[in-house]
Amino acid sequence: MKTPITTILLICTAAFTFAQNGDYKAELEVSIKKLDQAKSVSDFQGLEKTLVQLANTQKTEWLPYYYAAFCNAKIGFLLQDDGEKIEPYSVRGEAQIKRSESLAKGDSKALAEIYVVQAMIYRTKVFISPMTMGRQFGPLSDQFLKKAQKLDAENPRAIYLEAWTKYYTPKLWGGDKDLAKELAGKAIQKLPATTFSVMPHWGKAESETLLR
Amino acid sequence: MISNAFTSRLILMAGSLLFALSARAQTRITGEVAGPLGDAIPGAHIRIKGSQSGAVADSLGVFGFETTLRGKQTLIISSLGFKTQQQPITLADSSVRLSITLDDTANTLEAVTISAGSFEASDKAKGASLTPIDAYTVAGNGGDISNALRSLPGAQQVGEREGLFVRGGTNEETRMFVDGTLMKNPNYASVPGIMQPARINLFLFKGVLFNTGGYSALYGQAMSSALILESIDLPEKSSANFSVFPSNLGAGFQHLSKSGRNSYGGGVAYSNQGLYNKVVPQRPDYYRGPEYRSVNANARFKTGKSGMLKAYVAYAESNIGMRNPDTDSASLRSDFRIKNPNIYGTASYRTDLGTDWRLDAGIAYTFDQNTIHNRLLNINNEPVTIPNAPFSAKNSDATRNSHFAQGRAVLTRHFERNQSLRFGGETFYFDDTQTYNGAQNLLRDQLSAAFVETDIHIGGHVAFRPGLRWEYSSLLRKAVLAPRASLGYRLGAGSQLNLAYGIFYQKPENRYLFQNRQLGFSRAEHYVLNYSKKANNRFFRTEVYYKKYNDLVKTLPGIRLGGDGYARGLELFWRDKKTVRNLDYWLTYTYLDTKRNYLDYPERIRPSFTSPHTFTIAIKRFFQEISTNVNVSYSCAAGRPYYDIRAGDDAGTRIYDSGTARAYNVLNLHVSKMMSFFKKSKFRDYSGFAFGANNILGTKQVFGYNYAYDGSFKTPITLPATRFYFVGVFMSLGIDRTEDLLDQNP
Repeated sequence: MKTPITTILLICTAAFTFAQNGDYKAELEVSIKKLDQAKSVSDFQGLEKTLVQLANTQKTEWLPYYYAAFCNAKIGFLLQDDGEKIEPYSVRGEAQIKRSESLAKGDSKALAEIYVVQAMIYRTKVFISPMTMGRQFGPLSDQFLKKAQKLDAENPRAIYLEAWTKYYTPKLWGGDKDLAKELAGKAIQKLPATTFSVMPHWGKAESETLLR
Repeated sequence: MISNAFTSRLILMAGSLLFALSARAQTRITGEVAGPLGDAIPGAHIRIKGSQSGAVADSLGVFGFETTLRGKQTLIISSLGFKTQQQPITLADSSVRLSITLDDTANTLEAVTISAGSFEASDKAKGASLTPIDAYTVAGNGGDISNALRSLPGAQQVGEREGLFVRGGTNEETRMFVDGTLMKNPNYASVPGIMQPARINLFLFKGVLFNTGGYSALYGQAMSSALILESIDLPEKSSANFSVFPSNLGAGFQHLSKSGRNSYGGGVAYSNQGLYNKVVPQRPDYYRGPEYRSVNANARFKTGKSGMLKAYVAYAESNIGMRNPDTDSASLRSDFRIKNPNIYGTASYRTDLGTDWRLDAGIAYTFDQNTIHNRLLNINNEPVTIPNAPFSAKNSDATRNSHFAQGRAVLTRHFERNQSLRFGGETFYFDDTQTYNGAQNLLRDQLSAAFVETDIHIGGHVAFRPGLRWEYSSLLRKAVLAPRASLGYRLGAGSQLNLAYGIFYQKPENRYLFQNRQLGFSRAEHYVLNYSKKANNRFFRTEVYYKKYNDLVKTLPGIRLGGDGYARGLELFWRDKKTVRNLDYWLTYTYLDTKRNYLDYPERIRPSFTSPHTFTIAIKRFFQEISTNVNVSYSCAAGRPYYDIRAGDDAGTRIYDSGTARAYNVLNLHVSKMMSFFKKSKFRDYSGFAFGANNILGTKQVFGYNYAYDGSFKTPITLPATRFYFVGVFMSLGIDRTEDLLDQNP
């Protein structure tokens, strides 16, 4: 007799807590743990929604916008052969990363992370149509990567993105697959398994795919 | 495990919930509505589904209202420009505070476009939409935009003549517009049986809109098709380029000012096929050229905040002399000599006028001189005169001097949600003098047009573009009114249904007007239905149409209007950039059912330039490891009809013989390797090596037949040489044009 009522009430309560803002820190932690496991487009889409909600309850933290943008960048990379389908994610991601930048308030470590994701977002714009958008956004992406490396030369995610770019750029335009693998290895070395934190720590799996 | 305290809290809540339901007390719902980036959405509507309870958010996106409803409800939050959101909510007695984030609609839905009857290759293309480079790199186009577009549905494969033959129309029914103004002679003057190259470099254009039917009221005097080109604005940097293909030499430069607000440039090109023709024998016996020379200059200026002024001027000349066996006598030859100097100048200006208005204006001028000498030769290549028919007409001298000038202005008023109203006017001045065997004839015409067109968006799914065009010719002393309309209806993400309708007038060609000025306009009516779907780097498009011709020119007996005809068909286009990485291909199929009664046709027959079935493939593969592009194109078309039409016993004509020529099959290959000769130099070069072959399989092409005067024998119209080859190098210093071909980075 007690169980069905409890269940109904539990659902009600869950809905309440969901609608009303929960604990920001705890929720962010849950989301990032999920993000570490995310693989598919729909994984990232779901996480992006949660992160945006989270970002909007707080509005002063750079991290949730950063991660929302990162989700959009990842979706763009996953859909890289799908042309115009990428565009809404690129557009959203660009706005989010710019917002994140404005909230980072000159924290150079944070800015380095932000510029790496911004470079990725511009790379996703190239995917939409290499012929028409490559000329504008390819160099822009490189520019933001350089900006990131200037702020933090040791940032493993910046090293990974450089490796990615070297790997996929044609030889004539400065691509170098061997150097790319070397860089990917370097990035992995700089990503030791430490205790979990909500600060950016992705890049290992991404670098490993370049070594395959 | 549920703790005791928690359980009691739940029971308490349930109790109060039940109590609230019975008491019908008011519950307060408050909160704020924000966009994806946390910015407040003022004016957002919040209500509970199926009830009157709700509120409108204030300027900070904050809202609050009270309701007596209880239990599970759905909250609907909506605002213009945002995706409407439904959020489940459970109402109890305690007040509720919400933070709602809405998604942009702009991110999920692209605007509906008007696209019936048109193929766009734009520098803003996304996914599998065409870019200008896609069109320019179709193998075998020979640097001619019209030729490149023959790989798209709707165009016929007419191997012996330049220009675009669209949906049962002749090449004269397709007009080319550059930044709004007419480019009257896009190709060098016609030579019987031999396709002539384009005068203008196709890399000058950043946008190509190929309308195969139902085009905008902003353009006119083309019964079948309008090819609307947009020239490039400022170059990205200063550069110089050279190309050396043994029979074609070219050089050019672009200079961009330090301020980045203006540029100038120029180019020269010289082509002489003489040497090539010695190596690869040609069917006609060329004793001059074919030789083409051109020089051009351009200047571009940014004015004010949004203004752009562009000017282009070019001189281009062809010089050809050839001998062919005479169609009427095996012991005679005919000599055809043509000289065709041409000056073309155009200037265009566009600017925003305030926030809502925009002006597009342009002027164009063309001078074209076409001198043709026809001679009858004996076996020793000496001119002979034979006074009786048909040989008496075979010695002739004709010179045509054509001046053409145009002025045009279009004003656009923008309204919210991409809606707009466009109106404007243009005037064309034609001055043509023809001297035929000493007899001079002058033709002058002032053709003026006024037009209005508007873009209306109904909801998020419908775009409607009605237009009206009025034209008056001082020569014909006739005014006509041409209504046009186009509709786009979005069926789902990336898929659209499109409709177009229009009436299109065109004045008869000068060669008929010289003989009879009392003609009126010829007329075509188009009905177009189109479906397109774009998704995931793939693009499918199909179109059906019906076209009705009236008042076509008849030449026998006497020049008059009175011809008519129809065309109807089905076209398919499929492009796929996704299935194989780095491989891009498109397939087209064109079905055309057309008949017309015009010129000397005795009745409605299938015109000799049409084929019922056309199939084309364009394949582009980039081999990244060796920086090489391989482009292949293949077209095949069912055989075209041919006729022997001569005067009959009565006043009319008769078909004495007819047939269907063999099917057309052509495979073209183009390979280019990109490289850099001076990698370490300050002026890094972007160079390449290219070679290609047209009709690589050596298929014998027969486009039709020329009949002898009395029909006693017929000569096939075929290619001047079975295959065509080219090989050469090109180099660009400074700017990287090859990047267009290469930047295929994933």
